[in-house]
Amino acid sequence: MRIACPFCGARDSGEFTYLGDASPKRPAAPLDGGAAVEEQFYDYVYLRDNVAGFTREYWYHGGGCRSWLIAERSTTTHEFKSVAAAPGAGAAKTAQAGER
Amino acid sequence: MPDFLWNSQSPLEKAVIAGRHGAGKGTPGVSLSHVGDIALVQVMARRGRNADVAKAAKKLFGTETPAMLKVANGKSATLIWSGPDQFLAFSQQPRSAPSLEQMEEAFAGTASLSNQSDGRCLIRISGPSANDALAKLTSLDLHDSVFPVGAAATTSIDHTAVNFWREADDAGANPAYAMLVFTSFADTLWHLIVDSSLEYGVEVAAIGAGH
Ligand SMILES: [Zn+2]
Repeated sequence: MRIACPFCGARDSGEFTYLGDASPKRPAAPLDGGAAVEEQFYDYVYLRDNVAGFTREYWYHGGGCRSWLIAERSTTTHEFKSVAAAPGAGAAKTAQAGER
Repeated sequence: MPDFLWNSQSPLEKAVIAGRHGAGKGTPGVSLSHVGDIALVQVMARRGRNADVAKAAKKLFGTETPAMLKVANGKSATLIWSGPDQFLAFSQQPRSAPSLEQMEEAFAGTASLSNQSDGRCLIRISGPSANDALAKLTSLDLHDSVFPVGAAATTSIDHTAVNFWREADDAGANPAYAMLVFTSFADTLWHLIVDSSLEYGVEVAAIGAGH
């Protein structure tokens, strides 16, 4: 299996490591916002969908350019629909790392 | 109390055995060499300071920063792309390359520098069978149309991180490559390359040193 790093091109999947689901967004609410917020954070930290089909997930090109990437991959066929740099990868973009 | 004498020596001091190894006579399929005493600095642009880094590099090395997956040949150093917005400044002539102090001044506030001169080891491989020997080690496609002279890659060879690039063809018009590997992994990688090259006949050069 090969993964097309947006910086390095297609590389052997052995150069990459999988982190996990890239969809969860950190709740904008303050941590001490009561039971409702606690519920949101519980969801954000622990709960994941078990999708049959395309998911957005984090991959790390540690055996190459050492960039964090976000890939759309099918859990049923392993087809990669897209691989893009995670926000904050490289210095050109002014965004900080992490989803917002 | 004995006096200690500290000698700097190459991590490949014992591994490099000059001469012909492996199959056949005549033209060796693979030529291998190691050059010690290099100047090598990792340069990483700080957030949003890419343009300033390019400007400073142009002034200091006489070349733009390398494009993605490329090498840029400057007057005083070769700049090797090593990832988004970062490169290695490499010279085989440490005495005539910009010093770390000069680089610190040139990139002050725009890039972070890390001196890797004693952290990485340079291995060169070339020859008519160099691609065949490398095909056993790397998943990179080294065909001319994909990896021409001046191409660069950061990749893993035998689970070891290497900076790999293609230099000008050798005197026999055969492809020539250079790789930088962490010094502690150099010995393993060297033996792996030699073993992979034996069937083509390999000529190992005596350790050279930059000046
Ligand atoms: Zn990459």
